[in-house]
Formats: sequence, C-alpha cells, structure tokens
Amino acid sequence: MKSIPDPAILEATRSHAAEWPFRSVLIANRGEIAVRILRTVQALGLKGVVVYHAADRKAPAVQMADQAIEITGATPVAAYLDAKQILAAAKTSGAGAIHPGYGFLSENAGFARAVAEAGLIFVGPTPEQIELMGDKVRARAFVARGGFPVAPSAIEDDDPASFAERALKVPFPLLIKPAAGGGGKGMRVVREAAQLKGEIERARSEGQRYFGDGRLYVERYIENPRHIEVQVLGDGHGNVVHLFERECSVQRRFQKIVEETPSPALNPELRKRICETAAGIAREAGYRNAGTVEFIFGTGGEFYFLEMNTRLQVEHPVTEMITGKDLVLEQLRVAAGEPLGFTQEQVTSQGHSIEFRIYAEDASRGYTPTTGPVLVLRTPQGEGVRVDSGIVEGQDVTAAFDPMLAKLIVTGKDRGEAIARADKALGEYALLGCVTNTAFLRRLLNHQAFIDGQVHTGFLDAHPEIAAQPELNEATLHKLLAAAALVTRPMRDVADLVPDMHAAIGGWSN
Amino acid sequence: MHHAFKLEDSEYNLELSRAEAGYRLHLADRTVPVPVNLHLEDDGSAMLTVNGRSEKVLVATRGDDVYIHLGGVAYQLRYEHPLQRLAAQSQGSADDHVRAPMPGSLVALHAKPGQAVVRGESLLVMESMKMETTIAAPRDGVIEAVHFAVGQTFDRDALLLSLVAAAVEGKKS
Repeated sequence: MKSIPDPAILEATRSHAAEWPFRSVLIANRGEIAVRILRTVQALGLKGVVVYHAADRKAPAVQMADQAIEITGATPVAAYLDAKQILAAAKTSGAGAIHPGYGFLSENAGFARAVAEAGLIFVGPTPEQIELMGDKVRARAFVARGGFPVAPSAIEDDDPASFAERALKVPFPLLIKPAAGGGGKGMRVVREAAQLKGEIERARSEGQRYFGDGRLYVERYIENPRHIEVQVLGDGHGNVVHLFERECSVQRRFQKIVEETPSPALNPELRKRICETAAGIAREAGYRNAGTVEFIFGTGGEFYFLEMNTRLQVEHPVTEMITGKDLVLEQLRVAAGEPLGFTQEQVTSQGHSIEFRIYAEDASRGYTPTTGPVLVLRTPQGEGVRVDSGIVEGQDVTAAFDPMLAKLIVTGKDRGEAIARADKALGEYALLGCVTNTAFLRRLLNHQAFIDGQVHTGFLDAHPEIAAQPELNEATLHKLLAAAALVTRPMRDVADLVPDMHAAIGGWSN
Repeated sequence: MHHAFKLEDSEYNLELSRAEAGYRLHLADRTVPVPVNLHLEDDGSAMLTVNGRSEKVLVATRGDDVYIHLGGVAYQLRYEHPLQRLAAQSQGSADDHVRAPMPGSLVALHAKPGQAVVRGESLLVMESMKMETTIAAPRDGVIEAVHFAVGQTFDRDALLLSLVAAAVEGKKS
C-alpha cells in the first residue's frame, strides 16, 4: 500500500514550494476536510490558516492550524458562507491562497472571482469553469457537443410545441423531471408510450405545485443504476489526467455513504472507456484543478454523463490510497501555476480501497441526525486503516452542521481483504455519547449483495432490514445491564451498604 | 425491584447486591442472580465479567445516561430514578410534554400559551435535514408553555411545548 503523501513526491514538491506565489494557505472550511488540507499544507512547509465559528472552537483543525481566525454569522453555517469575512481573514493573516474544501463556497463562481480580485489565489478551477459545470443544462449540452455520452432526452424548453412528439422518440422507459426540480420531487417513470400524455400532465401539475414551475424534460430511465465517477486533474496548461474511478452507489436520501475503487462493476475495457471519457470532458473544458466527472451506469454497461463537480470530493481518499497521489498536494501545485508533475501513464492503480462515512445519525429511525457530547472516542489503527476525522473527545456534536463526523478509509490488496479489514476497523471505532452509524455500516458491509458487489443507488431502499435495529440477544442484554448497573452510583452504593449474604451466613451456606 | 434502565423502548428492572468477589445482578425475569463485576482500567476501558466470562468494554456516563461499547457496537442506556418512576406512574402523562422527535429547528408555530387544542391539531412545524415535519397535539388540552421560538434549534427529545388538561366547566379547581 502507498503512503500519502508519497515521501519522495513530498520532498521534491517542498523544494519547489519555496518559490510558489503563496507561502500561506487559508482553508475556508471546517471538520475533517479542514484537517485533511492542513496536513498537506503543513507537510509542504507552508503556513496553514483556518477560519472557524465559535461552535467549532474545540475542533481539531482549529488546534492544528498555525493560525485560527474566528468568524461569526447568523447561524454557524452562515459564517462559513460569508465571503467578506473570509477574505478579511486572509488579509489579516497574510494568506496568499484560499482552499475552499468541499461544500460551502467551493463551487461558488462569485467567491472564486472575489478571491482573484483580492489579489489572492483560489485553489480551484476558473470561475467560468465553475459556472459552466454548475448549470446542469449548459453542462449537459457542452458534454453532448463534445461527442460524449449523455442520456437520450427531450427538453421542453427547446421547442415546447413538439415536446410530446420528441419525448416519444426517447427510448422507453422514460423519466419525466421538472426542469426546476431537485431531490427526486415530481419525477415520474413512464414505461409505455400510451401513458406518456397523462404522466406529462401529472408531472406538470406536481412541478407547478412544488417549484412554481411546470416546465419539464424527459430522459431515458436507467433501471437499478450505479453511480460511478472519475477523478480528474488538470493544470490549465492543457494537461489533463484521470486517476481512475470511484463507485458510489450505496446512497441514502441521494447522499453517498460508502465509496470504493476500483468499481466492482467494471471490466478493464469498460474501466478504460469511462475513465478516458471523463478525462476527455475535462480536457474539452481546459479544466484546471481536481475535479470529478459523475456518470450514471446501467446494468447493460451503458453510461451517461450526470454532472461534473469542480472541487475536491469527500471521497477523494480512496483514490489517493490506490494511486499514491496526494490530491491536495496536486491541487496546490496546480494553483501555484506549475504543470502536472506526471503523465497519464505514470498514474497506476494498486489494491482496493473503501471509504465509510461516519455520520451522527440513527439508521433505524430513518437516518435522522443525532446529537450529543463526544465522551469517549477511540479510532481504529492498523495495516491499511486511515481515519480522516473532524472530531475529538470533549467536543459536542450539534445540529448546526452536516452530520458527517469522520471517514474511515480501509485499503487492502484486493476487495476481500479491504472488506475484512473494514469490518474489524468499524467494530473498533468507538464513539460514546452520540449515536453513530458504525453498526449500520457493519451490517451493510456484511450483506451478501455488498460482498458480491451487486449494489445500485436504490439498494438501501430495497433492503430496509439493513437499517433496522437488530434484536438484542439475552447474553448481550445481560452484559449491558451489568455494566450499566456497576457504573451507576446509586445502585453500587446500595449494594455496598448491605453485606454479602453468603459472608453473613458463613458456614451454613451449603 | 427499585432500579431500572431504559434501553431502546424497553425498561428493565434490576437490583445489584454484593457477592464474595464482585456483585450479583438480580433481574426481574430470572430467579437466579448473575455473578458480575467491572474493573476500570487506566486507559479508560473496563473489564466486564458476567457469569465468569470477561471481556473488554468502553463505558462512559453523563448524568443518568450510560454509554457502552460492547462487541463492536455502541449502546445507550438511561438510569430511571426510583422516585421519578413512582411520580410518573401516579400522576401526569408523557402526553403533557411534546418533545422533538429529532434535532432540528422551529419553522412555524401554530399555538400559543392559553390556547385550547384538540388531538391531532397542528402545533408547530420543525425542520430537520431540509425536511419539514408537522408536530400535532397528542391529546385535547390547553397549551401551558411554548419553550422555543421560531428559528431556534434544539436537540432530539427537547421539550418543545407543554400541555395541561382543559378546565372542565362548572368544576372548581
């Protein structure tokens, strides 16, 4: 297994870094990703600055940073979205570059522009690239124009009069989507041409009701789809490489929970094709920075462009573990204006890596978020185990932020070894004080369909038993009650007051 | 049995007594007590012995909550105070307290103190995970107090609203 960052690459980059246009990087984020970025920034000999809201005062990134600047907001999240305060903090601290992480301002073209206007370097793509990929309809048209696969579709806005006629030409089954929609609302599957007209009427009225906008589009519906994405990296000098794919099909509420690479669904030929397609799309856009091209992948091996994320992805560590490339280091190098330090042929994949997102949530109660103090935190260690964590003991998990607490990344020489190591590591991940999803992740990991690699985005909905709280067996119940009774003062005190019956009765006891 | 723990939705009655070495756990559904003991180690873990078999556990407490990591799974139990249990049995009901089913924030309030409500009537709307949930009155009654304002956030089980029985006409206090 490869160590991140690779000591040789780190050493070589450190010497360049002395001449970079920035010597200090401000991280406009929080939680585990702020820690992750800081680690590479500091390893390169650069100064790492973070901004933080008071709710994060005890967070590990704040402790680890060379400088931490408090920002305020109407809500904690609002603070991290406040470009003005973040730019002011960069000025105060003398930071020459801003790394946005993921979420928050990472895909905000206005922020990227404001950073440049302030004379600072944005560790990310150009504002124009963010805008292009941020507009789903434009991005899709751009990709289609380049000759890359997009799902066959008909868009009402193109010519409302011929919409129904054009929709009929899309291969069935179809998915009708509201043009203004999101989150699965108002979507309808149509399996037969005869139903199309009626379903368009219903979808229109739903779109009107949910979004105040009745415009629609239809696209080919992929049954039991997988979500496969490809990591790309471009330097803005015309060099673009891919760093292989990630399979992210295990999702709940349209959010990923487990990601792995390589994808169990791809044979070498398909793998090459999907990865080259992604690199081609990024090249077409002259892409600069780390990015992810997402595809929907059908059971027949067909795949279509879904969207491109123009930032570092939550699940980037699995790619690092199998390629040995430090993606944050590469982002910084590109931001400094350097060309990529390697060619496509020099990117190789070795072993298998799986990431588990540790959430403060109760899977058995519909994945609802949980809160509480972090009283005890023990993280697993050992061969192939990496923990990217945003929490420490003594912190509180609150409802103020996204419920993701940490990521467990487990790597092995093959998928079987990675799964076995992950099962052990998840059992060793102990957080007391707030319910997490680790027991659920273990049930998922040990489910036959997961072991066989037979998952799709609707997998958890199709198997609600994985999320359900398993019945407690009597032996476990007795152990729990014993431990609880023995640490509860009123119970132990009462017991200690009364002398042992056996001792009192003495020799009579037989 | 005076002591009890709540685990998930069940309540377990139990008693602890001393044995020559360690303790005995008396369970409501078992006539023979179980020999038990717990040794706290320096590293925060503990050695739990039940029926002569020992294993390593992690235990933490906070107020009446007991958290245990056992066999790779974390559990949460709550100690039920004998007096509170007695009080709960003799008067008042959980229906007087409207609690948050999940952490979130208050989006809209449809009731104010002094207002009479009927069972099923919408009291408030909360938001969690970008989804809105309407909380309805668990029974007929009068709103005694509202404990949060619109925009405020709260944890799961937070007391959102208290109800009292509606005054019956013609009856003195």
